Amino acid sequence: MAEFGRAALVVTLGLCLYAVAAGALAASYRRRRLALSARNALIAAFGSTLVAAAVLAVGFLRSDFSLTYVAEHSNRSLSGVYKLSAFWGGQEGSLLLWLLILTGYAALAVWVNRNRTRDLVVWVTPVLGGIAVGFSFLLVFVASPFAVQAAPVDGAGLNPSLQNPYMMSHPPFLYLGYVGLAVPFAFAMGALLSGRTDERWIVATRRWTLIAWTALGIGQLLGSHWAYVEVGWGGFYAWDPVENAALMPFLAATAFLHSVMIQEKRGMLKVWNVVLVSLAFCLSLFGTFLTRSGIVNSIHSFSQSDIGPWFLAFIVIAVAFSTALIMWRLPLLRSTTRLESLVSREAVFLYNNLLLVALCLTILWGVAWPILSEAVRGQSVVVGRPYFDFFLRIFGLPLLLLMGVGPLIAWRRASLKGLGRTFLWPAAVAIVTGVVLLALGAGSSLPGLIAYTFSAFVLAAIGLEFVRGTRARRALSHESWPGAFASLVGRNRRRYGGYVVHVAIVLLAIGIAGASAFDSVVEGKLAPGQSLAVSGYTVTFQKLTERETPHAAEVRAHLAVSRGGKDLGPLEAGKNSYKIAGPDPQVSSEVGIRTNYLTGEDLFVIPEQVNGDGTVYFRIFVKPLVNLIWLAGLVFLLGSVIALWPDAREQRRLAVRYDEAGSAVRGR
Amino acid sequence: MKPSELAGQTGSVSLVGQVVGKPTGDSHAGGLRFRLRDVKDASGTTVPVVYTGSVPDLFATGRDIVVDGQLQNGTFVATPGTMVTKCPSKYTAVNPAAQE
Repeated sequence: MAEFGRAALVVTLGLCLYAVAAGALAASYRRRRLALSARNALIAAFGSTLVAAAVLAVGFLRSDFSLTYVAEHSNRSLSGVYKLSAFWGGQEGSLLLWLLILTGYAALAVWVNRNRTRDLVVWVTPVLGGIAVGFSFLLVFVASPFAVQAAPVDGAGLNPSLQNPYMMSHPPFLYLGYVGLAVPFAFAMGALLSGRTDERWIVATRRWTLIAWTALGIGQLLGSHWAYVEVGWGGFYAWDPVENAALMPFLAATAFLHSVMIQEKRGMLKVWNVVLVSLAFCLSLFGTFLTRSGIVNSIHSFSQSDIGPWFLAFIVIAVAFSTALIMWRLPLLRSTTRLESLVSREAVFLYNNLLLVALCLTILWGVAWPILSEAVRGQSVVVGRPYFDFFLRIFGLPLLLLMGVGPLIAWRRASLKGLGRTFLWPAAVAIVTGVVLLALGAGSSLPGLIAYTFSAFVLAAIGLEFVRGTRARRALSHESWPGAFASLVGRNRRRYGGYVVHVAIVLLAIGIAGASAFDSVVEGKLAPGQSLAVSGYTVTFQKLTERETPHAAEVRAHLAVSRGGKDLGPLEAGKNSYKIAGPDPQVSSEVGIRTNYLTGEDLFVIPEQVNGDGTVYFRIFVKPLVNLIWLAGLVFLLGSVIALWPDAREQRRLAVRYDEAGSAVRGR
Repeated sequence: MKPSELAGQTGSVSLVGQVVGKPTGDSHAGGLRFRLRDVKDASGTTVPVVYTGSVPDLFATGRDIVVDGQLQNGTFVATPGTMVTKCPSKYTAVNPAAQE
């Protein structure tokens, strides 16, 4: 069985090598049949990778412990669904998942584009193939999931903290995101290699980028939610290196997603776009490297392995390759138009790029500095929250404001009068909101107050866009208000889907501001009958109970929550002691969360320490508006789906345009 | 900063090390006391640490941790609440007997 799996991976490696060599030759010498065979090899590589993945999956489901990897991450008593998620519970399996998604995306990309932009797509095959060669090489020679051993009676099992639905969803979504960025990257390299540097590569990859970006965003929110409810320290983002590892490509991809609109509409920012997509992809490789190599102290640290240096080499090659290509083709990346004014939509998108990249690079520095310091000076340093929080505010708050300005400001050159007219209402709403919030005590945190005020501005601006658009539609088609609204969105899915995503980001900002800047905390040791009060809530510790399950000893503190004299019901919080091999059991905190669905507020109880004498040391938070963060995730998904939804009208429009562009280019 | 490098340091530093011996005391009442040694040096010097504040769940003998603080009279006095643990290897040791 294992041999079969390994053979399948060797086949993948071979097919991808062929795809690179044949594809590159075919593209350089315009050999159509060779190009087709290279493309087919890439598609076949997905098949062989799928076989390898199936072998491993079956190994898990059948508890085949002769496979070392299965024995290390699973055991007989693990339920089926977690046996499957154990697939990506460790190094080798998660690399295989990466490769599976990569070959899947690659096969789909070259197949869907087989009849379009041929000179571009012939180069996409070898680039994607090259990335796949890298990963399959690692899987065959450095970190094989198919190592065998004498089968032990039972496996080691999956770490208890990974036995939850988040483990089923968080890694796959993140990988769909990370790997998805390879496709626009490959198209960008294809554009540079073929000389077709007009917006064709952007149009071809728009949906890919959107899907990868959405998956990356959802994956991160899932991770945050996991951290919030399960790890339970009271926060949802710790600026941990591997959290940042996903945030950095997300920021670069966000900049890319926006910047390409300017190239599509005005032929500007061409160099920015190839740089941004390369940055996004290289950062996703870097992120994979960070999470896997054991090089940083983090909650995600996999065991130290030899994979680090290989990954580093991989990243260096990717960076060198893209940089060299961009420099070579710089003359072809000239803008066809100029920036006419610093107060225009083009300029705002440029500021957007600058701010997002600045934030991304400061985070990168925060992650890299400890590594560099250790390696070069031998001194271990820790870059903590204050650094990251500071730059998040400096760059993030202006970005929040720009989200409201960008969609409304005029192209080319905005007149002062026009600005006044467009932004009068949103600005007024924002100022009033700010004053009201100040009166309600939000002045305790200036960044928080600013975040709220800017959020009000953006929401008002977006709301205004929807209202104006619907009104104009009604005037045109005399539909009812709901009908006009539906057809407005239906006819402009990109724009209005994008607005919905902006609303999601604003909700995220409000949630983060509320939960971080305006939260309250109280702590103390309680004996049964005693209580703690925080932010209007009274939490009374009633009694302690113990329960034994096959896997753990569970201790629970039973609490009663009340607010303003009104009883809000019971709450439980405690600790689980998992029986695992070793001198100390693995202990996890099970926090108690009481959510107020009307206000989005959470009462968050952490049982820090259960003492021998029956007292418990509690830490209790009140986090206002924190549930807006999770709501934002749903709105984000909705907006993306709207923007992604196929639009026959748009397809026709683009087809016409590219026939024109095609003939114009051919005539050159 | 590693425990072996700590001697003579004044000022606030981040100490990275592995917990040795049994911790005593209560971090919420008087302070949790334990010793730290270099992660990669089994026979090296150990430093006594006293810590108050929240203790992460994963804290135990043999775990690698990071904690901020200052060396005072030979004991590393930690800044409250600054302890961070590194997750142990995700793979628990294979123990066939335990599962029967």
